[in-house]
Amino acid sequence: MRNLLARLFSFFKKQQDISIGVYGPPNVGKTTLANRISSDLTGEELGSVSEIPHETREIQKKERMELQANANTLSFNLLDMPGISTKVDYRDFTEHGMEADAAKGRAKEATKGIVEAIKFLEEVDACLVVFDATEDPYTQVNITVLGNLEAKQIPIVIVANKIDGDNADPATIEEAFPQHPMVEISAKEGTNMEQLYDTVVHKLAH
Amino acid sequence: MLSRPPRDNEPLDGVPIEFVSQDMLRSKSFQDKLAYILDRVQDNMILVLEESLTPEEKKELITQSVEHIDDTFPGIEFSSMENRPRAFEKMMNTFARRVLRKEQRSGGLTIVGNSNVMEKVKENRNSISLLAKTQDSASRGGV
Repeated sequence: MRNLLARLFSFFKKQQDISIGVYGPPNVGKTTLANRISSDLTGEELGSVSEIPHETREIQKKERMELQANANTLSFNLLDMPGISTKVDYRDFTEHGMEADAAKGRAKEATKGIVEAIKFLEEVDACLVVFDATEDPYTQVNITVLGNLEAKQIPIVIVANKIDGDNADPATIEEAFPQHPMVEISAKEGTNMEQLYDTVVHKLAH
Repeated sequence: MLSRPPRDNEPLDGVPIEFVSQDMLRSKSFQDKLAYILDRVQDNMILVLEESLTPEEKKELITQSVEHIDDTFPGIEFSSMENRPRAFEKMMNTFARRVLRKEQRSGGLTIVGNSNVMEKVKENRNSISLLAKTQDSASRGGV
């Protein structure tokens, strides 16, 4: 009886409380993607977007969203994570016109955000790992994020974003990490979002 | 750059690179290794370690180095290249991990440096290209 209750509890927990983390380095379009998903499913955006790196410095959460594909429904909370990087240099922000003090404050908040995002790698139930399709995908941040998720057997969907960019080459992402399903999108233009939703539901809904 | 060997106490104009053997690394716990790495990279040194890092170790390296970022230390660049173990090695590694609860390493290479003095140029499964920047360009700070 206790086992049955535990299984039922775990079933409902799984059905109602799935947390999907949006991970990746800064400026790959994580918040643009989270906003697109949130807008499509609830009509509301999640966070602000900027060309200056580390615009998202705290985890942004949108709760109780629902995706449907075929006969499956997936209920989930979406967590837009701060971008993970190995360095934060405040002068990168001053180059975008910020005053030195403001830039130093932003850099300090960014380091806290990175640590928080890394700690949450073990808390999420599934991940959208976002790549900039115009950049080299084979970086230690990407390898580390994927390696840790794989070690915890957390389901992953790779999102090759910015396919609207001039030099976009999503095939290099697939070549570098062929072990996970990949969807090519432009979060900015809304391209292939239905394909992404189908892939997520197929991967996660039971 | 100096065109002759430096005299005693003469400041060096260049990037110090330290090669660390697998024997030395094996004698340290991971936390000790991490402390050793962070201590040196904060002094603008580049370390070449004769082993790769596990995903968990890379995660710790990123976390702890980011926590150390301040006015003079903007963080790290690193690259880690694994040896692809043969079937027998894979079997022995699995045995060591599951039965002996010990992480067996099959070599590899890790390069880690202060991002003031090191910039990754290109990395793939079989090679790493890096640019070591001189101290002149290493004057940029972190937070």
